[in-house]
This record gives sequence, C-alpha cells and structure tokens, in this order.
Amino acid sequence: MRRHAPVRPLPGRAGRVREIFTVPFPLLAAPRRHVLALLAALSVAACGGGGGGDGAETPPAQPPVVERPATRADAARFLTQASMGPTEAEIDRVVSLGYAGWIDAQLALPAVSHRAHWEARDAAIRAATPGSTAGADQVFESFWKQAVTGEDQLRQRVVWAMSQIFVISMADDAVGNNPRAVAAWLDMLGEQGLGTYRELLESVSRHPMMGTYLSHLRNQKANARTGRVPDENYAREVMQLFSIGLVELNEDGSPRLVGGNPVDTYDSDDISGMAQVFTGWSWACPSAPDNGCFSQGSVDGVSDPDRTFKPMVAYPQYHSTDEKRFLGTTIARQSAADPAASLRVALDALANHPNVGPFIGRQLIQRLVTSNPSPGYVRDISRVWANNGRGVRGDLKAVVRAILLHPEARATPTDTSGKLREPVLRLSAMLRAFNYRSDTGNWRVGNTDNPASSLGQTPMRSPSVFNFYRPGYVAPGTQSAARGLAAPELQIAHETSAAGIVNYLRDAVAQGVGATNTLAGVTRRDIQADFSAELALAPDAAALVDRVFTRLLPHTTVPAELRSEIVAAVGSIAIPTSGSTATALRNRVNAALLLTVVSPEFQVQR
Amino acid sequence: MSASKPVIPVPRLDAAERGGRRVFLRQAGAMGLLAGAGAPLALNLLAASQAAAQTASDYRAIVCVFLFGGNDSFNMVLPTDTDSWAAYTTTRNQAPDSIALLAPGTAPVAGAAAGSPARLGGVLPLSPIDAQGRSFALHPLLAPLVPLFNTQRRLAILPNIGPLVLPTTKAQYNQRTHPRPASLFSHNDQQFTWQALGPEGTTRGWGGRIGDMLAARNSRAAFTAVSASGNAVFLAGNSVRQYQLGSSGPTRIAADSSGRTYGSTAVTAALERIVSRSRGTHVLEADLAAVSQRAIEAEAALRTALPAAGTAPFGTPPASGTYNPNNDPLLRYTNPLTGAAAASGLAQQLQVVARMIEAGRQGLTGVTRQVFFVSQGGFDTHDLQNRNHADLMARVGHALAYFDGVMGALGAQNSVTTFTASDFGRTFTSNGDGTDHGWGSHQFVMGGAVRGGNLFGRFPTLATKNTNNNNFDGSPDQLGNGSLLPTTSVDQLGATLARWMGLTESQVIEVFPNLANWNASVRDLGLFSA
Repeated sequence: MRRHAPVRPLPGRAGRVREIFTVPFPLLAAPRRHVLALLAALSVAACGGGGGGDGAETPPAQPPVVERPATRADAARFLTQASMGPTEAEIDRVVSLGYAGWIDAQLALPAVSHRAHWEARDAAIRAATPGSTAGADQVFESFWKQAVTGEDQLRQRVVWAMSQIFVISMADDAVGNNPRAVAAWLDMLGEQGLGTYRELLESVSRHPMMGTYLSHLRNQKANARTGRVPDENYAREVMQLFSIGLVELNEDGSPRLVGGNPVDTYDSDDISGMAQVFTGWSWACPSAPDNGCFSQGSVDGVSDPDRTFKPMVAYPQYHSTDEKRFLGTTIARQSAADPAASLRVALDALANHPNVGPFIGRQLIQRLVTSNPSPGYVRDISRVWANNGRGVRGDLKAVVRAILLHPEARATPTDTSGKLREPVLRLSAMLRAFNYRSDTGNWRVGNTDNPASSLGQTPMRSPSVFNFYRPGYVAPGTQSAARGLAAPELQIAHETSAAGIVNYLRDAVAQGVGATNTLAGVTRRDIQADFSAELALAPDAAALVDRVFTRLLPHTTVPAELRSEIVAAVGSIAIPTSGSTATALRNRVNAALLLTVVSPEFQVQR
Repeated sequence: MSASKPVIPVPRLDAAERGGRRVFLRQAGAMGLLAGAGAPLALNLLAASQAAAQTASDYRAIVCVFLFGGNDSFNMVLPTDTDSWAAYTTTRNQAPDSIALLAPGTAPVAGAAAGSPARLGGVLPLSPIDAQGRSFALHPLLAPLVPLFNTQRRLAILPNIGPLVLPTTKAQYNQRTHPRPASLFSHNDQQFTWQALGPEGTTRGWGGRIGDMLAARNSRAAFTAVSASGNAVFLAGNSVRQYQLGSSGPTRIAADSSGRTYGSTAVTAALERIVSRSRGTHVLEADLAAVSQRAIEAEAALRTALPAAGTAPFGTPPASGTYNPNNDPLLRYTNPLTGAAAASGLAQQLQVVARMIEAGRQGLTGVTRQVFFVSQGGFDTHDLQNRNHADLMARVGHALAYFDGVMGALGAQNSVTTFTASDFGRTFTSNGDGTDHGWGSHQFVMGGAVRGGNLFGRFPTLATKNTNNNNFDGSPDQLGNGSLLPTTSVDQLGATLARWMGLTESQVIEVFPNLANWNASVRDLGLFSA
C-alpha cells in the first residue's frame, strides 16, 4: 500500500525529548512542599516560553500553587475533580490535610476488589437459586458500591476516568458474557491506573477481555498461500486510542505542524506491521501452547478457571516471524517465533512515543478537571509524564497528582473552565452528598443505559471503544462551539436524554434508586437516603433549601435567582394544618433536591 | 408561566411579516423561554404556522440509515459473474471460519453453524436494468429487499461510494501528493466524513446544510432535522439544529399527565424554568439549558401532533393493554441465529420517523422538507463476522422493507427517499473470521421517486491479492487488503439528494464545494427521474 515517509528518525526525536527531560523536576515523589514549589516553578517556566521551540503558544501567567483550600467551597470544588462527589466529611479532610496531603493519604489507601464482590454475590446467588449465577448487574453493583462508599475516592475517580480511555464494554455480548472478568478489569485499572503507563498498557493489551473486545485474542499470522491476513483491529486502536493518537503532537497537546499541516502518526503500513505483533496470543491455559488452548482455551475439557482475566499467553506457532515495521521501529525476522519479544518492543515503542504524555495526559485532565485545558497545563502534565522527578516515565500517580494540583485546576473558575458532569457523576454526587445506603448492601443500581428513562450511561457499557463521547467533540450550534471549545459530555446530551435523566432523578429522589427489594416486610427501592434532618427543616422552605445547597452545591456560589426560585416552589407545597403532614413534608424535601440536581449549576463541574 | 405547558402562539409568519418576530421575542422573554443559544429554536417554534398551504403533495424528506462500525458491503451486494465470484471465493474462504457466501441457488443446510454461509444458503440473484455485463446478488438474509429491486424497482444500488476530495485513480492514490480525505480507515473520522465531509471536530453536516437551504419552506424549522438515533453531526447546519426524538416519541420532562411533579404544578413550572435557563454566564450551563428548552418546547408541540405508534400502518394495535413496540410483530425481525422473532431498534427508529413524516404531511408540524437520521450499530466485524453480519443483514432487510411498506400505506413513497451509509467498507481479505477497515462501499437508495432496479456507478473489479505483496494488481479499484478505492463520492450522492429536495445548483455547490472537482456531467447520479 502507500509508502510515505514523514521523517521521524528516532535519534533526532530522542534528542528533542532529552531537552524536555532536562527540565529540573526531581522531587515530584518527594515531600509535597517541594512538589508544589516545583509545580509553581514549572508553571513559571512555561510562561517563559521554555517549551523547546515547538511553536506552541505561551500560556498566560498562572497564579502560584495553593497548598490549602482557602474556603470549604474551594475544598469542595477540588473534590468535584478528585472524587465521585463531595461530602461534608471529605471536605473536612481536605481542609485539614490540604490538597496534596489529601492526595497522599488517598494514594496510600488499599484497593477493594470488584472481583471479590462479584464472586461473593455469585456464591450467594447460586446458593439461593441453584442454576443461577451473578451477571453484569453485579459488576454495576460493585462499581456503585465503591463509587459511593469507597474511602479511596481518588482511585474511584481515576478508575472511572481510565475506564473511559481504555474502553472495553459489556454492550458487546462477548465481553458482557464474562462479567467476572469485567470486574477484574476494574481491579486492574484500580491498580495499574495508578501505576506506570507502560505496565498499564501491557495489562490492557494482554487482558483477555480486551483481546475479546478488539479481537486480537486468537489472532493468527498471515497465510501467504491462501491470502489470509492478520486481524488489524487492536493494532489500529491501541495506537489511535490507547497511546499516541492520529497526529503527531507537541508537548502542549497541539498538533505538530509541518508546512502548516498535521503529520499522521501512522499509516496503513504501520497498521500492518503492528498487526503482526498481535498474532499468537490467546487464553491462559494449562496445556498452552497447545492448539486447542489457542482456539478454545481448553484441551480435553481442562481449562484455567481464571482464563477470562489472566493475561493472555503466547502461542508461538500462531505468531508471525516476518519482519515487522511500525512507527520507525523494526523487529527483525525471527528464526523462532517470539511473541513476547515482539510485544515488548512494540509496547516500548508506543510507551516511549512523545505523543503519549500529551495525548493521554490531556484526556485525563478532561476526565478529572476541565474539557479545555490550556496548552501550558497540558505541557506541564506532559513533562511530569516524561519524568516524575526520579527518572520514571509515565508514573500515573505523579500525573494524577500534578493534574489536580496544577494552578489551572485550582484557579478561580471562569465561564469556560471545568466540564459537564456526565450522568454517572451526577448520580454519584447526589448519592454521596446525601449519604445514600443500600438496604441489601449490594447497591442494585442496575443498567442505566436508556436515555429516555434513565441516565443514558452505564459504567462499562460504552457503545463502542470510542467511549460514550469523544475528547474532541464540539457540539454543533452551541455557545461552547462558537468559542471553539470542546464539550465531550455534550455528545450524549440531547432532547431525549435531557428529559430522561430528569425523570429518572425525579423518581430516584422520591422513591430511592435501583431495583426493588422486600426486606422485613418493607418493599422499596434498594438505595435510600435518610432524610430525617431535611424533613425536620421542611416547614421552613428557605432553611431546607439552604441545607440542600450545602450538600449538593458546596463548591459553588448559588445564584440568588436559583435559590429564590426553589424556595418559592418548595414553599408553595402547602403543609396541611390538620391531619398528616408527612406527605407534604416529604414532597418539599423531594422538590428541594430535584430542583437542585436538575439545575445547570449542579450539572457543570466548574 | 402556568404549570401546564404553555400554548405557544402560532401566528402566520410570511417572509414579509418578519417584523412580527419582535412581538414574539418579547412574549418569549416574558415567558422565560429564551436562553442563549436556544433562541433561534424558540423563534422558529414561536414563528410556527399551521401552514394551511401545506399539502401532502408538497412534502419531501430524506432518511439516512447509518450503519455504524463499517458495513462489510462485499457481503451485502455481490458480483456473481465467473471472474468476480472466483476472486471473491478464493479471497474470503479462509480458515478457521470462511466468510465466503455461497453461489446463487445453494440450498441452506439446516444443521450448519448459525450464521454460517452453509446455513444461510446461496446469495439472492438480482435483475438489474443494466447489469454492466455482469451479474449480481444480495446477501441471503436481504430477501425482503429483492422484490424492491427486481420487480417494484424502488431500490437502487450505489456501488463503491465513499469520501473523496476529487476523482482519484489507483496510481494517483499511491502518490502522497494527491489530495485525499483526512484520517481514512478511522471509524470516528470516517463517520464524520460521510456525514459532514470532514473528520471528527467538523460541526456542520450536509443533511443540516440541506436543511439550512430549505428552512424557509418550513414554518417550524425546529423539526427540519430529526434524529431518532443519538446526536448526529449529519443534521447540524448553520442555523438548523438537530432535534433528537426517541423511538417511542418525545419524552415529557418531569410532569405527570396532569402537569404535576410531586403533586405540584408549581414545582413543574419551576423545574421547567430552572432546567431551561442559565442564570450565570458559564457557557456549558447555557448549552445545557438550551437543550432542555428545546426538549420542553418540542415535546409540547409534538404531544398531540404525532400519530399513535400502535395504529396502522405504523404499528399493530395491541390486543389489550399498552402498546409495546418490542412486542409488535410488525417491528420484529427474525433473528437468524435463533430463528426466533426479536425486537429491532432500527425498525423502532424508523417507526417514529414514519410518524413524524405523516405529521409533517398532514401539516401538523410546520414542515415541508425534513432530513432524518437513524442508525444501527455493530458492523465492525473484525471477528465472528458470520454470526454478527448475518444478524445485521436480517435487521437491515426487515427494517427497510417495513419502512417502505409504511410509506406505501401512507401514499408517501414518492415523497421520501431513504439511503444507507456507513463509516467505510471493509477489506476484501479475511483475517480468518472477519474483515478489517476499508474505504469504498456499496450502499442502497430506496424510495418511490428513485429509479430503482439499477446500479448507479461502475461496479468495481474484484481481484485476488498478489502472491508476494498486499497489492491487488488485478483491479484498478482495490488497494491494500483489497479495500475499495471509491469511484463515486459522497458529495455526488449528497448533491443528487439535495437537488431532489429542491436546492438550486449554486446551493448544491455551497454545501458540497468539492463537487466542483467533478465534471458537470457526473455531478448528479441520475437517481431520480427528471
């Protein structure tokens, strides 16, 4: 096919990269005071235009790093970025520990296993109803249980973010039929998502659910005699989505232009070369590399019971021995097929590509903080990505820390800063703010796909590997578009979903969330809040609304117009002067909550 | 405003009466309806006219059926002449799971694996008006489309169409300097390019741009561009904005049938104001509010305008209880993997499109020109292609035939033209049980106005892969892995549809500037009778 040679000799590039590496940033993993000073210094350095002559714009001057929140609102705003939703207790902790201290404390917390939840539920379900098993619902249970109640809130938020960058989806039946393995995928993201990128990329690439989703599991080398070719699916998407993207990037995330045009990172020949790398990988299996293991995952009925989440293993007889060329790297023809060596070279090439920091780093900023980070913000994160201060590339803990501590994340919000909260984050914020709890302890939220009657978004059920929305999505005909701004989450906001989520929340507030249980003679939805404090305030509409605002909008200044609108509506619900007042009081609480969670003020993370 | 939905005044608004808009603006402001970017829609709604002059005979619509993932059209429309068939069978019959469909007349084998070529039986012969010296057939599960092509002549085939900047030969393609669409072979970018003539990030689609040009014919521009799928850039114009309509019709926000939320009309009223207004100056708040505002206004307008889903010809009245489209036999297709009837999301989307079309033809929604978008996902058949593609072909065949039938019952066939589109075609080669990303593909165009029963454009030559490299030297139309280099551009199709909708030649060139790169004689595909 076409042969083009955009000149990207690796030696020259390495030279350029080394310059970047020389930015003094040795102490990121060291005590936070130093980290903060460095971040501030970096920011200033960026202002000085010390970016290495890539033609990127010089960002505006940044204010110095703030180590501690000045107000509870500042702490709450930080938690809209770093957690699944602020709570009073977590705000207290941020105020007490400071931003960096809170991050350090969070990163020290152990992970809780999603797979363990799934397996425990599976055992319980089998015991209760022989022949039944746990399914996708138990993955959602574990997601929501941890999202709402997990102490390791930063991990929860990062896992949710990573699951939207490194996408597998139970909307695909082949993945959906393996819910235990999807729970294990979440565990993998919780661990590797805060490890190093190189290890994450290997875990992603060798995970049998990724192999199933993007079809490199059981992928075979070409057959020159018959004309069969390797499957190119993963080879393409690992480059387009999980590592380097379509065009060469400057450190600040802008496209590198040659003669005014962007430069493709790869072409069809690179795809063909990379596709050969991803041949000869299949299930972990006791008899591997037996052919039966390759095709069926078992021989004579013997298989590995954990094969759906154990890393795929090599089957040399199916691996291409041909020379493999991609991204300026060549793997010489192998005298004996060596899939592991091929994979190592390929993943090293991807992980060391200069695009990775700006490409993945920018998306992490978008998932956590803002849809439209400045070039300087992206550049600072790219530098931390390139070197955590101890010579480690792709240290994701350091990257997440730098994203959240960056002056741009902590600066006063503007009319264009922040992001739209996606539906999952809206629900998690509400559930956390009011300390919702599950009657069964199982968090039976279930599938929330339907945009006309639910959230229009379910964790681990993206419609495709391109996630629920694209990082570069510009919503046609909007004010954000007119200002040249991306708004990824607007890609799933339309007339139907706008109505559907309001109606879902209307019922969630009034009746609770999720499937209905009958426990101790009481039939109600599984996830409930204790509104006794709100009910006590309900006779005083203004007091009730102010309490609701404290819970749901602690991070922002509520416009007087919104407050008066809600107070008036709540106050219009008359409390009977005789007979039971319970219904009226509860309707007041319901109205106060609903009118707040549907407000644009709540939906936008500033 | 009151708790119940405001009754929007709908005075006549001719071009000469634009001054009247100021009145509506004030009224709208007083009602709290205007919020930032939503204003144009509010104006359009407020300006809506019952359009007494409208009649069904003046109505036209195009419907885009987008096949997300990249449809393997090599297995949808097949050349069955000896040379083509030999190249096809040689290339696609690969271990472990041959994806080579079987010759016409091959009897299905009941015991063969579900979805396998043997189970499906032979491909279904077509009888084109001009067979280009070859012979053709459809996928075995497209039986519902065969009579539409062969006898009723309402179905046409567009061979080897795809995005192009200008006519391109294989030799030109192999020169790096020859212009080509950006990010070929990439799903998201080629979805955008088919819909909006540019890669991801493009914000104007050619369906929406056609709508822009025709909006003056619609007194309610809000319903010019309607998606029954999600947000689709295809429908975004300069002024026209997509309206998203769920398969079961519009969703009312919060209120029950008596206009109450938690028993209160005041809460409903407050909620409508809160969601549809932005109090601060944050752009995302304004953008969100605009969406909600459109949702409220459109639902109020459509609540009574749409014919019921559970009535003929759109659906089957339920024997008892509430209508459920999942149970409507008219909307269920036969799943080839199970042999059982199953619900079809694509048919359900086309059902609501049909209801909108009928409301439009009856003058109830203030439109005479509409552009619709529906979709079916799952076409990215890198593996397990036999099973997955068989199921998808069954869905497409059923849904298109259902829609044609409803249009026929409404007498609307001549007013509605439906076409398929997809990210890209796929590779001609097999990876053992599937196919990879390609470029050109075959598509359908369907409607009473279409000169059906024919192929519009040259059907590509199919060859086998070279022994020593990935080229297909036997074909001027095939690139690496046998992907097709398109010989018809999306612009040519769009322009042809745009003219049928009523755009002038200068408007066509404005929407499709690259069309100027083609000779004037081929800027129209001749799909419609003059």
